[in-house]
Amino acid sequence: MAREATLAAPVVRPLLSRRARELLTGYCYLIPVILALGCTVLFPILKAMQMSLYNHVLIKPQEYGYVGLANYARLLHDEVFWLSLWNSFVWVFGSVTFQFLGGFAAALLLHQPFRARAVVRTLTLLPWIIPGVVVALIWEFIYQPNYGLLNDILSRAGLMTERIAWLANPSLAMPAVILANIWRGVPFFAIMLLAGLQAIPGELYEAARMDGASVLQRFRFVTLPMLKPIIVVATATRVVWTFNYADLIFVMTSGGPANATQITSTYTLLQAYSNLDFGYAATLSVTLLLIMLAFTVLYLRLTRGLESVA
Amino acid sequence: MERVLGGPVLWIGLVALSLFAVAPFVWVLLASFKTRVELYATPIVYLPATLSLANYVEAWTSRLTPFSRFFANSLWVSSVTMVVTTLVSILAGYALARFRFAGRQTFLLVFLATQMFPAVLLIAPLLSQWYALGLIDTYQVLIYSNLSFTVPFTVWMLVGYFESIPRELEESAMLDGCTNFGALCRIVLPLAAPGVAATAIFAFVASWSELLFAITFTSQTEMRTLSAGLLFMVGQYEIQWGQLSAGVIISTVPVAILFTYLQRHLIQGLSAGAVKG
Repeated sequence: MAREATLAAPVVRPLLSRRARELLTGYCYLIPVILALGCTVLFPILKAMQMSLYNHVLIKPQEYGYVGLANYARLLHDEVFWLSLWNSFVWVFGSVTFQFLGGFAAALLLHQPFRARAVVRTLTLLPWIIPGVVVALIWEFIYQPNYGLLNDILSRAGLMTERIAWLANPSLAMPAVILANIWRGVPFFAIMLLAGLQAIPGELYEAARMDGASVLQRFRFVTLPMLKPIIVVATATRVVWTFNYADLIFVMTSGGPANATQITSTYTLLQAYSNLDFGYAATLSVTLLLIMLAFTVLYLRLTRGLESVA
Repeated sequence: MERVLGGPVLWIGLVALSLFAVAPFVWVLLASFKTRVELYATPIVYLPATLSLANYVEAWTSRLTPFSRFFANSLWVSSVTMVVTTLVSILAGYALARFRFAGRQTFLLVFLATQMFPAVLLIAPLLSQWYALGLIDTYQVLIYSNLSFTVPFTVWMLVGYFESIPRELEESAMLDGCTNFGALCRIVLPLAAPGVAATAIFAFVASWSELLFAITFTSQTEMRTLSAGLLFMVGQYEIQWGQLSAGVIISTVPVAILFTYLQRHLIQGLSAGAVKG
């Protein structure tokens, strides 16, 4: 469409000078963004790569020095790192699966016409927009063993005899933080899939109904295939985002008890904040970056595959 | 079958969904009005006897955790981040939407990729960089750092908005003697105003929620933002759940209000961006 417009416009100036001017103006407009992201993203990433090659512990300045790949060798033998990778997998898989299922159900519900729909939509989307630390504190309060909401509900319902310290129990802490994350992420899928549902032409459903398709068949053969691209994109975005997301666990458990909720991103924070080991923290950052790049390549392959099928 | 799905199932589902989303908020909102006795009673007292604002007053005026100061800090940092983000991304978004220059595709890919970079990855190198520049405990450093996650997203959104505005309007303006920049300000921006407003609010809300940069690059109480202040409050010897709940509500209300406005635009923008990406 843009190309048609260019052709339709009367040609007043010679083509070359126009192109040259576009080039120049375009680059000028990009200078601020290059400065902004250069200083806050690109340079720090290069810096992290360099830092990962040094022994750089803030409280031991006398040991500072170039160590080559020693930090990476240490990483390969670090049991907590491998544990954190496994925990990250559980965290991502548990969170995204249930966020998706809940969000899909929510989107189907919110797509129906009913009174007060706008109000219900806004309310159900709220958990997504509030600050992460607020989500963490709300759920920490709910899980509080002595005067928290969850224990009270369970004991009133007769399901529990002894108070449970949800976040202090190594086998319950991970499900507990995942539930908080599900609460926060359901609206994301709801909002994306709702937009997808609204974009499906009504005629498709009409035609399916004419052919005698039941509700379930219409869902299976119209809704699902039409939503497929947005499902793939939303899920992939969410997987990457959840993998990187540290705030919630950092505030609720700091990766404890006994590393039961230590995911790779909180482990990176731990190295930087508690151990002040910046070399090793940078090594973990670079590793995170590599894992993410691998995932992005995989994801691009996947979506390209989808396009060629469609 | 359809009648069951449309009637009871729909209503039960809606009630369950609303409860799941809202109950935790209601719980904290109620707690913020409770007295100390009510907060720590067993079994739990759900409804406070009076709607006492004592927790809010205490949190707002406390010397140890002054929420009035945190609120002002958050407001300033988020507002300036919003303005800078918007200016930077209008220019970049317009250039990427309109001009065909070498490296345009690369730029677009970089913006898409940077959206995936987590704060965790940048913490260590940014801290040593800001420390070397002597910028620790300043507002600037929080604003600069926030650009790392606001700008990639807003540029990506604005490219979409600008592309949806027909080129002919600017071209006729330029034929009438407008410069390119003039056409951008007088023709394109008024038309793209809803989209620009939505991305600006996004930048505000995202910096309002930011936690890791705020706790890493500031150390003094009076420089803390709301998120950092809340976390600091937890770090005290005993958690004051009443004040903390009040603090939680104070931090939530502004973004909740902005979000109700933003919602409509964001849904469209997200789905447009998602389908394209």
